Amino acid sequence: MKSDSNSLILAIDTSCDDTSAAVIRDGRSVLSSIVYGQGEIHSLYGGVVPEAASRRHTEMIWPTVKLALEQSNTEFSQLSAIAVCCGPGLIGCLIVGTSFAKAMAYASNLPLIGVNHLEGHICSVFLTHEPVFPHISLIVSGGHTSLYLARAMGAYEEIGRTRDDAAGEAYDKVAKMLGLDYPGGPLIDKLAKNGNPKAVNFPRALIKGTLDFSFSGLKTSVRNHLLLNSNISTEDICASFQAAVIDTIITKLLWAAEIHGINTLTISGGVAANEGLRQRLLSLKNMRILMPPKEHCTDNAAMIGLVGDYYFRQGAVSALTLNPKACLPLTANCG
Amino acid sequence: MRLRSSSDRDTQYIGLKLGKLLSSGDTVFLTGGLGSGKTTLVKGIAGAFGINETDITSASFTIIAEHEGTVPFYHIDLYRLDDLNAIDDIGLYEYIGADGVTIIEWADKLQGTEIAIVTVDLEYISENEREITIEGVDEQSWNNL
Repeated sequence: MKSDSNSLILAIDTSCDDTSAAVIRDGRSVLSSIVYGQGEIHSLYGGVVPEAASRRHTEMIWPTVKLALEQSNTEFSQLSAIAVCCGPGLIGCLIVGTSFAKAMAYASNLPLIGVNHLEGHICSVFLTHEPVFPHISLIVSGGHTSLYLARAMGAYEEIGRTRDDAAGEAYDKVAKMLGLDYPGGPLIDKLAKNGNPKAVNFPRALIKGTLDFSFSGLKTSVRNHLLLNSNISTEDICASFQAAVIDTIITKLLWAAEIHGINTLTISGGVAANEGLRQRLLSLKNMRILMPPKEHCTDNAAMIGLVGDYYFRQGAVSALTLNPKACLPLTANCG
Repeated sequence: MRLRSSSDRDTQYIGLKLGKLLSSGDTVFLTGGLGSGKTTLVKGIAGAFGINETDITSASFTIIAEHEGTVPFYHIDLYRLDDLNAIDDIGLYEYIGADGVTIIEWADKLQGTEIAIVTVDLEYISENEREITIEGVDEQSWNNL
């Protein structure tokens, strides 16, 4: 296996509703990163519709990859390997990306590297910062709210996760109750700026003795409040709801830091783009906070390319029989 | 059959009992608003098939979550799907009466196009109380559990 210092990776991610492709040099330099969003299709339904998303991926995968190659002035013949996200995600969507990557790898005789989407998120911060280990990593998005102890590349231990709703899902459900559009997270974040975070004291689910999260009770509490109080401002609800989510996340991050004696914290995933959360994190004392820029928080292929490059150098190449999996723990292989 | 739950634990226990009366091929429809305890009930039902309750989380994002229990366990959540075409597109009909136990949250979105023998409706009464109405199970078998 060649592991020359110069590497050029084409990376692909189609795990949810964004079709994305990127070209990464030497595991660090993002030469191009294209994210083709499908928000306008799914906003009709208040969320991602799997079958519609798969169809759109099928239409957009080649134009997206082509654009990523063009913008980076890269020819197929110059590539070192193709990295592709093989899970977790929506199975119909994952199949589009992995089938495309497998066919391309086979036709161009390039190594194929299957990458776990969650490992991509954890490492997304290293697209812009020097890698630091160990650290506590929080992935917070529409489908996940999980805490990891990251000891080294490839060595992660899950130390907490949501027991019911993901934080991003609570955002979307509250947005729907308030009659806001999808995706609700950015809208609530924006409205919260003009509201009073202390208007309503929504519950913080700080389950003692565990780093697990729970956002279902908060969602229910917002619903009740809306049923009983019709005259409260949307901004105040948004600010109070957001304060409850952020307090919970920050508290659990600090607990994790204390339990494991680690003061480097990283966050990733769509909710990591939340302005309120980012500001609170930056105000923490005695903590080293690493956050990806917002465009690296939401799904993107650049993070897949970074992880793919690492495994390529390790010689950890996937077989062309690589199968995507909807449920794929960080410790498991796509096979 | 009308039951009263006064905690998450109660709701989960009712789910566990219901699960014990289900077998492969059964489909259960769940209805009830946001925060009425549907996913909590599913945690209980899943327990009857050897699935850890912490492995059952909201399926609103993925819509279909498959779990390997003593029988295949399909946890489906139609929350985000408002029209029947979108429901058809996800392949829902292949899961009804499939080889395994299928639990469908927000089954009212099917608008009566499908029926299940067992239906459960959860109603929010107060912060901790829910009224749970179960139809399609034999009351005597329930009482003998």
